Amino acid sequence: MSKILEFIAKETDGKNYKSYQYCFESIDIPKLVYEDKKGIQVKKKGETDRSLTQYKSLKDLADKLSNSSSPLFKYFLDGSRRTYKVDDIAYGRRLYPIIAGQIGVAVCERVDRHSFKPFLLSNPLVISIPENANATTSLGSNDLFFNNLMNKINQQTILRKQNLKIEKILPYKNTALKDNDKYEDRGIAKIQNEMINLEQNIVFNLAKKKKLNDNSFLIKDGSLEYMKTSESKELSQIKSNYDCVVGVSKLFNPEALSNDVKDISRKIAELPVYCRTPAFMYQTERIPDVKFSVWYLRIRKTNSPFEGVLKLEKILVRDIQEDEGLDSDEIDLISANIINERNPVCYGKDARWANHLYPVYLTENYIKSKYLSDLHFINLF
Amino acid sequence: MGKIIGKVAATEKKPTTIDEFYFWTDKQRVLNPFDVVKVEHIEESITFGIIEEISHITDSASYLSNFISSDFGDVNTEPNSSRIGMNFVKAKVLGNNKSIYTPVLDGNKVSLAEKGEVLEALGLKNVKNPLICGYMDMYRAEDKISLPVHFNSQFLIGPEGAHLNISGISGLAAKTSYTMFIMKAIQEHYLKQKKGVDSIAFVMFNVKGRDLLAIDEPNEELSKEEKNRYEKMLELSSEPFQNVKYFYPYSDQSKSKTYSYGNDKDIDIQVDLDKGYKYKYVFEDDKLNLDLLFSNIEDSTGTMESIINFIITDQGGFDEVSSWSQFVSKVGEFTKAGRTSGDKEISVMSWRKFKRIVSKALNNSIFSNRVVPEKNEVRLRDSIINIEKNEINVVDIAKLDQDSQAFVFGDVIRAIYELKLGQEEREESEIPSKIVIFIDELNKYASKDIPKNSPILRQIIDISERGRSLGIILFSVEQFKSAIHDRVKGNCATHAYGRTNAIEISKGDYRFIPSVYKNMMTRLDPGEYIIEHPVFRSLLNIKFPRPSYKQFPNG
Repeated sequence: MSKILEFIAKETDGKNYKSYQYCFESIDIPKLVYEDKKGIQVKKKGETDRSLTQYKSLKDLADKLSNSSSPLFKYFLDGSRRTYKVDDIAYGRRLYPIIAGQIGVAVCERVDRHSFKPFLLSNPLVISIPENANATTSLGSNDLFFNNLMNKINQQTILRKQNLKIEKILPYKNTALKDNDKYEDRGIAKIQNEMINLEQNIVFNLAKKKKLNDNSFLIKDGSLEYMKTSESKELSQIKSNYDCVVGVSKLFNPEALSNDVKDISRKIAELPVYCRTPAFMYQTERIPDVKFSVWYLRIRKTNSPFEGVLKLEKILVRDIQEDEGLDSDEIDLISANIINERNPVCYGKDARWANHLYPVYLTENYIKSKYLSDLHFINLF
Repeated sequence: MGKIIGKVAATEKKPTTIDEFYFWTDKQRVLNPFDVVKVEHIEESITFGIIEEISHITDSASYLSNFISSDFGDVNTEPNSSRIGMNFVKAKVLGNNKSIYTPVLDGNKVSLAEKGEVLEALGLKNVKNPLICGYMDMYRAEDKISLPVHFNSQFLIGPEGAHLNISGISGLAAKTSYTMFIMKAIQEHYLKQKKGVDSIAFVMFNVKGRDLLAIDEPNEELSKEEKNRYEKMLELSSEPFQNVKYFYPYSDQSKSKTYSYGNDKDIDIQVDLDKGYKYKYVFEDDKLNLDLLFSNIEDSTGTMESIINFIITDQGGFDEVSSWSQFVSKVGEFTKAGRTSGDKEISVMSWRKFKRIVSKALNNSIFSNRVVPEKNEVRLRDSIINIEKNEINVVDIAKLDQDSQAFVFGDVIRAIYELKLGQEEREESEIPSKIVIFIDELNKYASKDIPKNSPILRQIIDISERGRSLGIILFSVEQFKSAIHDRVKGNCATHAYGRTNAIEISKGDYRFIPSVYKNMMTRLDPGEYIIEHPVFRSLLNIKFPRPSYKQFPNG
């Protein structure tokens, strides 16, 4: 039974080397990767209440809400991917890595306190190979070629027998490398982009099903500042989909806003429990058309300064929001509801427990449970 | 496929095996130990399992995590989400409908079984020689099913297997009621049966108050629902026992001339109706049973035995003795110092001990000079050896002291044994082919502490070992099974465990029972039993209705 790599090599007239296969995530030493990006322009005031300069306690509001109303957040979105270097392949004089990946994006729904169910799941298997795998022509779209290749791969016995399917081939640029650039990173970036696309699609889906409204918000794990530049028409659509979405980052760079906000990291570190900072408005170079409101909230008192602090983000959707910032009452409501999500904790299961929200943790685990095991996946190739 | 309740989970640490599997269910789903479930298996077969253990787990790594989840110990914290959790259930494999015994596969659906499937799974479908032994309730609410449970009677009363042992603490286990229920089922079974070679009779001892002194009178308190259960589900009548004879110890002290807890009037009525009798022991006929008075006496040197031998063989002038009083005074002669007659090897001290023991027992008026048949007085032995087919003899020993109880008991057992061995002058065809003896408080006669030379213990062991082929069946009852002689309980084919206590279940006798079932034994309701029977594929938790005969709640 010929495996997928041999087939790709044969089909694209390359030479494969049966080199060491490994999962990028499993050999990397976990390191602090901040989820926010560089090139930020900050406006100090990201909310309507201009008087707030230090911090604001939301404990009373949180207690009131927990006694009187149902939680604001009903949906929880998380996405992750596992990438693998499965082989090297030679095209012409250069050697390129073949990167394979498993992507998982899911939304879970909390119907009531005792019932937590998956709502949507997308978990495709993908491969990323250099663009010049298509040897025939460099004109026009490569899509046809790669779709064709994908269909042929899916006909392979090894996949058919196990009822598996490669859902996309993501070609990465084979242009010459500069500085620290690596082909591996290009492949991984392609897979990462695909994951982001899927996340956006899933939010789009939820919005289309009218699941998101003033009483039913979505928490997205991680920063919202990940969108790609798009056509302005498409962008306004995307923005309105995100009207009821809050991005919650467990890890963040406390110095991200330091150029514009004095002492920000100290303020965050000294934030008392159940208090939030004022909201700031910012936009990035990469997506200049989108403005974000961002603030920090401490949900737990712990020993180290940034543990128990979450970075919350919301996309400013309406013009008035872009001008005056997000309504402070909305920020308070979101924050108080996040405070009420502080329990239970995943202490003992996840080192980031102090910053984790339990429903998000569950969603993350749900996605992980849907992955093929590394050994299984690698041995398809 | 019935209602699907979960899926099989096979993990690295807890794989499914030929014998057992695990499955998860919703934490709100109510299941009980002993519930039967079915699993889809390969080749479209179905594997059945019986629930042994149910655990609830969450993703909490430790208790500390739970503590932290309550804001570091704030009991008033109410989180928006409860922790993700589920129940996982351990089930023992009962069988597969296509005899495929490879382990069930991960992810296969687990569902509730239907009535017919439960019977099939437990080996209760098409039981040969069925004899009702109770009913089973399974599942809850709208899923609930009730089904009758049958023994294979050949494994209960022979010839394949024999004897029933029931254990449980007094009051809560309803041991007597359960034994009576089984005997009622047996009597009805034989009454319905056409006259043939096979026949049965019962001998039972009343050891507590008036428990068994009105078993042929109906239980007026039986509700309509209970009567229905008897008739519809269990296919038994709710009538009391038939063909019953009661034997009371004779006494000259009471109005009814009996030494019993029974009401004088009731006894008189029974006597008038010719079903009540008063039993006596007469020296000339019963001296051979003297050894029975010594069944609880430690006699390591065998001196008591020598004295009994001396008397039975009519030495030393005992041939001239014709009554119990003469016997006591004759024994008195041997207790005097400096006597010249008699066996020199038996010391005076031994004779004195002998006298002390017999005098105490012989004070009872059951030891009498002669029997007056006109007054419904009988020698117990004579009545027992003439027991008719389908007859029940109830021997009342409740009020007697322990030694006299042992004497009467031993005498009856001996009589039955000799009857079945063919030593009595009765036509073989007239003798019931099976005689069931119901012994309450077996621990009094066959516990591990009883002296090894006890004639009654020897007799009981003999019956438990050879009774199956002779047609003598022992239905024994005791509080603590662990206290019973190994050879007696080891020969019982059927065991019923009623409510017991934690100390008892820690004993070796319960080693083979899964711990959940063991713990269940400490919580069983009255009228609930865990049954072990050769044709059942597993222990079963069964229930039975209240007795159909008259009850005396106050003894």
